[in-house]
Formats: sequence, structure tokens, C-alpha cells
Amino acid sequence: MVVLTQIIDVLTQGSDRPVRRLFAYYAIVAAVVAALSFAFPDIMRQVAGKGVNVTATSPQLLPDALEEAQRGIIGFGAGSLGEVAVVTILILLGTIVLMMPVTWVYMSARPIPGHSQALVQTLIILPIVVAGIIIVVQNSLALAFSLAGVVGAVRFRTNLRDTRDLVYVFLSIGVGFAAGVQSLAVGALVTIVFNLVSLLTWRYDYGRNALTPTASSQWAGPLETLASPTGMHEIPDRDLVLSLTPEKADALADRFDRVRSVLGKNKKKPRFNAVLTITTDYVPEAQKQAEMVLQKVTKRFKLDEVVQHTGKPSEIYYLVRLKKSVPRDEVLTAIHDNSDGMIASADLELAEPLQGRDGDKS
Amino acid sequence: VSRARVLGLAVCAVAAVSGCRESSQASAAEFQATARAREQKLQQRLAKADANPTKEMTPVAMWMMPAELREISGIAVTTGGRLLAHGDEVARIFVLDPRRGVVLKKFTVGNGPGGDFEGITAAGSDIYLLASNGTLYRFREGADESSVPYSTIDTRLGKECEFEGVAYEADSAWLVMPCKRVSKKLERGQLIIYRLRLQGPDSSRLTALMVPMSQVVGSNDWKGFHPSDITIDPATGNYVLISSHEKGLVAITPDGQVERSEPLPGKHPQPEGVAITSDNILIISDEASKKPAHITLYRWRL
Repeated sequence: MVVLTQIIDVLTQGSDRPVRRLFAYYAIVAAVVAALSFAFPDIMRQVAGKGVNVTATSPQLLPDALEEAQRGIIGFGAGSLGEVAVVTILILLGTIVLMMPVTWVYMSARPIPGHSQALVQTLIILPIVVAGIIIVVQNSLALAFSLAGVVGAVRFRTNLRDTRDLVYVFLSIGVGFAAGVQSLAVGALVTIVFNLVSLLTWRYDYGRNALTPTASSQWAGPLETLASPTGMHEIPDRDLVLSLTPEKADALADRFDRVRSVLGKNKKKPRFNAVLTITTDYVPEAQKQAEMVLQKVTKRFKLDEVVQHTGKPSEIYYLVRLKKSVPRDEVLTAIHDNSDGMIASADLELAEPLQGRDGDKS
Repeated sequence: VSRARVLGLAVCAVAAVSGCRESSQASAAEFQATARAREQKLQQRLAKADANPTKEMTPVAMWMMPAELREISGIAVTTGGRLLAHGDEVARIFVLDPRRGVVLKKFTVGNGPGGDFEGITAAGSDIYLLASNGTLYRFREGADESSVPYSTIDTRLGKECEFEGVAYEADSAWLVMPCKRVSKKLERGQLIIYRLRLQGPDSSRLTALMVPMSQVVGSNDWKGFHPSDITIDPATGNYVLISSHEKGLVAITPDGQVERSEPLPGKHPQPEGVAITSDNILIISDEASKKPAHITLYRWRL
């Protein structure tokens, strides 16, 4: 593993970007597979391409059944125990080689912090088991029915925290199938595409609802209130709040409303009424450019948080109080116009629930 | 240090791979040597079989078929001594060297039409493939991995008879096709072999040879005889039929006289094809069952 890490470091020139490191890993695997295919083409064909109808070229020597019967199955000829063992071991090793990067992506590219170690280990082990079963059952309807009977006696029931985890389990089974029918080439392509798509959707935060306010926009005010020295409770960690399940978030929002009903009797307007989110690869420069604009277009602003990411742009959060005369779009346009190429994207989330209560319609 | 280590690993890997690689020339030489050795071994076994005074037939060679021929159905010997073989469901033809156990080439009839293909035979340069419903596919041998054009002949016997094999009788230019099962109750006590003339003034004329089943069964304890394939003995011109159901072999003259009726030699889990070469080698093909699909060669004793 250390050697592999060093090779990846050399290939990526020490970069810690996941996509680069993933490509470096696949480049190493491709080189090893190419070398093995060059040296042992028949064995590699059986491991990687047998199930995709790769047929032998003519002329082709047929196995001599009389000789095999005399010699027995022990040895390293076609159909011998030796060949079966080598092919099976290569298939099982192949599943591990394919699933390693999948677990890395699973552990790294997650919108929700934390991962299940049990699931990570399952992702490695499951395809080995599935491949073994498929190798045994292959081409035998009777064995397939027997397997169904045996498996039917075992109960599998588990709750996965994230629906995406289920996809990883499906992928794991798929790789096991591909390996079992001796088509690791198909399994390899599936995992490569899967990993890249997973990384890209994580990198660009694909699927985030752009039309409705996010949890942070709803809670910016209450959180700020709670954070103030006069608050009744200590503010929870912001990321922790945002990682809550919708049900828990709703419960917490109710709690915020109750607290606010107690604290809001002074009828003071909240100091801030929007959250500005800036994504950038150049945090100091983007901060400088954004603050120049905010000084002009807002009543007041405050740097809330800088969230640094590895492999994708960092995020800068500002709490801002907008001027009534400056609409949201104008603020965003001004930030984009003055970004000087340092800002990847900017978003302004208005604290609409607060606006409604405060009668601030800016 | 890391770069040096990576470079060292790469050099070692290249050296190891280069050392392991089997050159194509060496591979071809090994192929030829194996084929020659097989030919010699076959000659030795044939000589040993010829010297054996008993009539017992023992295998002189047995070749396991590739996965595509898992359901090997019909086989036929060409004039050049090569063996044509096909599977049950796809019209893909394999050309084998039965003496050396080599797949020489394979080609597809048209786009590989699906069907229940049961028999094959070579009639001069034409090849006929028979489906169980009585449809004949006529085509010519193609190059390796090629697709050959074909035409079809409907014998219109599909409702009367379930066909399982076909052979070409060169002397009379007949295609002979035995019925595995017949639909007419009256004819169930007979073994029916349809004969379709391919050439001459009365081409496409159909006749039927009927042999009483009692004569076909002979002294065996069979309840009937359900032919799986038929071939023509090149030495005698007799029709040689095998049955997967009865595991039996029957030789019948073109006039309908039963010359031989006996159990198949050796062990055959599912014999589906039979052929006899011009140098008296009997070849029987078996579908995959407990054993992989294979062909078995015997010295054919007259």
C-alpha cells in the first residue's frame, strides 16, 4: 500500500486532488493488466473477457479428453485444477483491485460527513463472495435453484443511512457478477465510470435545489440569535445542524421558533437578513474582491465561515444586511463583475421567514 | 527516492514481462508439434485397434468441444476428411480436423438464424443443414469468421415427422433424413427414412424407406429406436444411425435390410451426431451433460 501511495504521489506530482489520484491509480492498474495480458494472454482472456463472448481464434487446439482422463485433473493444463486455481485467484484479486477506489470515493466524496466502516468493508468483501457464488453456479440451472433455496434460508435486513449507500452495494454486487462470469473488463469500466460520476456530482454539488431556500438561509437568523451573548443556548455547530435529517431539522426549526418567540419581544430587526455563499479556489483573493463589493451594496456584513475543501472549491459564507434599494440580483451581479476571475460562483440566500416576521421586504 | 523506486519497479516489471512472454513463433511451433504428436498417437491407436482380434470398439481419440459447441448436434465428414459440426440453436458451422483435434475455422450461415438445427451433411460443394421442422438450409463453406449466403428448402414434412439427422447419399444424389418421431399412428411400428432427390430429372422427388421396428430393434432390449443422426458408411453405402435415447447403433442397407443393431460402443451420455470417414473412423458427438461436449473417434469395423 505504501509503495502504491508513493507511485501515485509520483504520478500526480503530490497532488491531493481525488480525480488526479484516481486516474493515477487506474493508470497503474491498466499498466499491470497490459503487462499481464502481454505475458499471459490466455489467462487474462479467461479472467477479463470470457463472459463477453471473446472467442478463441482459429486454428484452435481442442483439449484431448483421453489424455486428460489418464493424467487426471491435477496439473496446469487446460481445465486442470492449477488453471482453475490461478484463474479464480486472479478473479478474486481483480474484484479487490476494482473495489478499492470505489471505497475511497465512498469515504471521501460524501455530502454527509462520516461513513460506515462496516459498509466500507462490505464493499470489499461482498464482490468476492458474489464472484465465488457465480463461478460455482455458472451454467447450472440446478445449482442456481439450490443456491436460491440456501440463500432464502438466510435473512438479510439492514437499514442504510443514505440511499446512495445502496447504490454502492448494488455496484459491489455488479462487480461480483462481472468477475464471476469472467468479465472483469466490464466490471472495470463500470467502476471507473461510477467513480468519476460520483466524484463529479460531489465536486459540483449536483442536485442541490436551486429554487427553494436552503436550511442555512432559514436558520441564519436563529443561529445568529442563539450565538449572541444574550442567547439562552449555545449555538450548535453549523455544519452539524446542516447535516441533520429533514425530520430532525424540522424539529430543531420548531425549537428555534419557540426560542425566537421568547427572544424577539424587543422587536428589533435582525442585524443580518441574508447569507452570501461564495465558492472559490482562491480564498484570500476572493474574500478581498467580495468584501469590496459588499461594502458598497450592503448595510453591513460579517464573515461567517470559510469551509476549506480538498479537491473542490472552498466556500466562504457571509452574513449580510441588504440595503432596501439594492435587490438580490444586483448584489450578485456586482460580485460577479468584480470577481476578477477569482470567484467560481456566488449565491445569496434571503432569510425569507425573518423577512416575513420583520416586515422587511428588501 | 520515490521516483527512483518507481523507476526500479517499472524496469523490473518490463524485464519480468518480457521474460514471460511466449513469442508467436514459439507458440506456432508448439501448435504444430502438438498436432503432429496427436496424429502419430492416433495412428498408433488405430494400429492397435486393428490388431485387436475382438470386435470391441475402444476410443482412439476424444476431443472436448469449445463452449460454443456445448450443444453440438450434427456432424458430417467432408470429402477432404474434415468434420463439419454445428450447435443446436444457432446456424454457426465449425470446421474441425478430427484426427488432430483442431478447430480449423468457423463461419455463420447468413446472420446466424435461430432454429432447432439437428443435422448437417456435405453434398459436393454444397452443405445442407436440417432443422427439426424439415426445413433445409443450403449454403457453401465460407472463410473463417465469415457469413455465408443461404437458401432454404421446405420439405413440408414438419407436421408428419420430427427430424434429427441428415446424410447425403452420393450414388443416388439423395438426402436421407430419418424420423425420430412420426405423427401417424399406423407408421409408429416402422422406422421411416425419407429420401429427397436433389439432382436429375425427378429432382425434389420424395420417397420413404420404411423398416419394421422389430427388425431395427433386433435382439436388443429397446422399446423402439429414435434416431439422433444418420451417416452413410463410405465403404458399404449403408445407412448408419445412432440413437441418443436407446444408446444404440443401427446399420441399414439402402434397400431396408438391417445389417447391424447393437449398443453404442463406449460411454456416451448424450450422442447427437455420427459420421464415418473414408478411412473407417467412426465419430460420435456428445452434447454437454455431465461431461463437456466432445467427439469420440473409434475404428469402424465392417
